[in-house]
Amino acid sequence: MTDMIKSLKVIKIAEVLAPIMSSRDVVDKLLAPIRKTEIQSVVLDFTDVEFISRSAAHELLLLQEEFHQKHKELSFENANKDITQMIRIVAANRALPEHSKPTFKAERVSINSLI
Amino acid sequence: MRNVIVPRLKSDSLAHQLVSLYETFKNASPRESLFFDFSQINWTCPLLMLPIASYINSTKSDFISGDNSNVKSYLSAISFPKGIDSISEFEQQIQKFKSYIPISVLKKEKYEEREKLQGLFESMIYKILEVGEIQGIRNAIFYPVLELVGNIFEHSKTVKGFIFGQYFPKKNYLDICIVDQGRGLASAYLEEKDLKLSDDAALEEVMKGHSTKPDKERGYGVRTSKRVVCEGLGGEFLLLSGSVALISAKSKEKIMSLPNFYWQGVVIAYRIPRPTMPIDISPYLE
Repeated sequence: MTDMIKSLKVIKIAEVLAPIMSSRDVVDKLLAPIRKTEIQSVVLDFTDVEFISRSAAHELLLLQEEFHQKHKELSFENANKDITQMIRIVAANRALPEHSKPTFKAERVSINSLI
Repeated sequence: MRNVIVPRLKSDSLAHQLVSLYETFKNASPRESLFFDFSQINWTCPLLMLPIASYINSTKSDFISGDNSNVKSYLSAISFPKGIDSISEFEQQIQKFKSYIPISVLKKEKYEEREKLQGLFESMIYKILEVGEIQGIRNAIFYPVLELVGNIFEHSKTVKGFIFGQYFPKKNYLDICIVDQGRGLASAYLEEKDLKLSDDAALEEVMKGHSTKPDKERGYGVRTSKRVVCEGLGGEFLLLSGSVALISAKSKEKIMSLPNFYWQGVVIAYRIPRPTMPIDISPYLE
């Protein structure tokens, strides 16, 4: 699989990964070969991919940035509306990150109050 | 091996499920071999069954199901306690027990198989809810599972994660539970950021979005998942690590101390009412 991915210009995500992309480490491992590819332009084809996690979207954007830094191109094609939205949300957060983290307030109780 | 009578649930609320889990593991020593006795229960739930299944899998513990035939057949239908860890087993189990989703064991080293098994689990949950193609519901169901399971393999330093879900058609809600027996929240902050925090403080840091990773764009997974569950879907959310648990509903957050109890790792459980209206999760993803 690794050698195959290395030589591909178009990678069909649903075939090499899964229809739902979840974990960052899986995305990272399976797409690692394309980091080393000599090909100037690689397309990630999202045909038949239903949904991706926020973490997976973040990992894909990091990979895309790596490509840009090496003057190469990584593009995303045939992503459905939900995947496009997820990538856009993460990309927007990278471009314009929130400076303040949200507050969190919780009442403290002992479990014994329920027993 | 010490005998532990798994207590009957006082009610089906997440809080009372937590009480049963607490009473089951209270006073247990780390990795103590326990013999779980289910003879008192007549009904059960993912928040109780999945931590017990995971505990049996990782310690020399065992169980007895008791005489109740409903409980016995339920345990068999959900593949308790071993669970299933392959796509073929998952499909066989679903064929056999149509409306029960088996306990699924996700193994770090399996990569693609793990990803596909998780995808099957999510698709099955979605199917079993019978909500059709109402806009946005698929995303709302998938998002928390993806983020919370992803955290196991990114943060917990364990090689196994457990997921389980049960839809209760008469009660009209879906319960999901996600469990690991990794290093837990406080240890993650200590080892990654050299921050010595109590379980309570570590849980609070997670909810404020302070990632244990150096990347400032991380740390969204738990908080945004909780928002999708509670604000988007009108559900309840529980996060437990070490000796504390957070229970969240739409407008209130409670951190519960769990004296004489310690869960090595993280337990997450949530309940959502069966969705019937379109939903847009993007406002909760921040």
